[in-house]
Amino acid sequence: MSEQLEITPVVTIPDHLVGQIRSKLAYVDELIAQAEISEDGSLITLALHRKASEDKKANIAGKIQHVVEEMARGAIQPKVEVLEDHSARPTYYDRDPMEVLRASAEVYEEETGVFVFGPLVTRLMDFFESRFLMLADEFEAKPYRFPTLISAKMLDRVDYFSAFPHSLTFATHLREDLDVINHFAHEAHYTEDGLNAPAESFSRFKMLNSPAVCYHLYFSLADHPLPDGKLIATAVGHCFRYESTNLTSMERLWNFTMREVIFVGPKDFVLENREKSRQLMEKIFEDIGLVYHVETANDPFFVGEFRKQVAFQTAFQLKYEIRAKLPFKNSTLAVGSYNYHQDFFGRHLGITLPDGGPIHTGCTAFGLERIVYAFLSQFGFDQSKWPQVVRDWIK
Amino acid sequence: METQKTLSEQVQAVLQEALRVGAGEIGPQTQFGDLPQWDSMGHMEVMVALEKAFGVEITADTITELVSIPAICSYIEARHE
Repeated sequence: MSEQLEITPVVTIPDHLVGQIRSKLAYVDELIAQAEISEDGSLITLALHRKASEDKKANIAGKIQHVVEEMARGAIQPKVEVLEDHSARPTYYDRDPMEVLRASAEVYEEETGVFVFGPLVTRLMDFFESRFLMLADEFEAKPYRFPTLISAKMLDRVDYFSAFPHSLTFATHLREDLDVINHFAHEAHYTEDGLNAPAESFSRFKMLNSPAVCYHLYFSLADHPLPDGKLIATAVGHCFRYESTNLTSMERLWNFTMREVIFVGPKDFVLENREKSRQLMEKIFEDIGLVYHVETANDPFFVGEFRKQVAFQTAFQLKYEIRAKLPFKNSTLAVGSYNYHQDFFGRHLGITLPDGGPIHTGCTAFGLERIVYAFLSQFGFDQSKWPQVVRDWIK
Repeated sequence: METQKTLSEQVQAVLQEALRVGAGEIGPQTQFGDLPQWDSMGHMEVMVALEKAFGVEITADTITELVSIPAICSYIEARHE
């Protein structure tokens, strides 16, 4: 039987942090099924999966207060700058497209946050891929293929485990031991709580499911001078970010697809190309009639790192998000971003310029499932309402 | 008798404590990125320490401008003129 728990936060949650704190509350305790924050930031309401003892409720409340304290107390109000605003363009649909997509078997949810897509969604993803490849061609970007797994050793070198531990997902295998493998083969079955194999059956984690695309390129360049001092690359890949109870519809997937154009070189080279990619995409999105705006943003850092990293990222304008309108809920969804990492990867991975200084990096990244979801939210399923450029490509 | 420290030396001392580095690791020309400790997280520790020591207000402008010992000194001097 489920239960509700109301908590008055130690610090009133400022408006600009409501969404980010709400998303972190999902990671506070496995009993939390849903978390809401009142509009004025003065009340947190949790829906619990089942009834909890008073001690357990006090424990959850304590952890919630810790999250609020860490993220909200002394938070620096970010100065949000809008670089493009195309939110006045018309939209042609006002419902959540998930209803139709599920009913028509265009999406099948294999597990929470893991979706199979049918022909329509696949064709639309291919259409947007074709536009992003046009962008890559403008830069004569070199094509790369990256693995789905990513090295734990290399992620540690770039401090990933302290910045984003909450969303990691891990790859493992059975230990090389005949008794362990035999035991697993005889006993392993799926139960309500998951696979019932004992934890000691599995090897230590050397690999994870990759949370981003461009990291693979930086890892491949580590500990060497960058030949020619400049590189522009492009790749598409599966990315994995576990978002707990925030995994809802195509808005937020555990396993999603990202296309990136990646810039490596001196600071000016990276910043100029990041800006050029934004301007090129503005024209491509104009042809499509996508309703969106671009604004300064930050990455979803873990609680302990959140306040300081966010202040730093927004102050230096390291991330611009492409936020597409979702008319049915009168909100926006990040469908891509233009990122500048300064010399972070150059310094941590020992990648140098011809003058011996660390390389700078940046990337332009698009979430394919999200942009299709935003497109269907704006244009619906009546293809006569779709932009000509999409209809021509699909047929 | 202790000699009076210059502003640069005072700033270096504040950064040395904020970044938890040894004496001599920070000099009059040290800038953001020169030390592994002065990264994005370290920079925000520096900002908080400067706020406490010199009353520097933490804003988007100060975060982006105060990225070297000379820049920090110039900023503090201008505020106290």
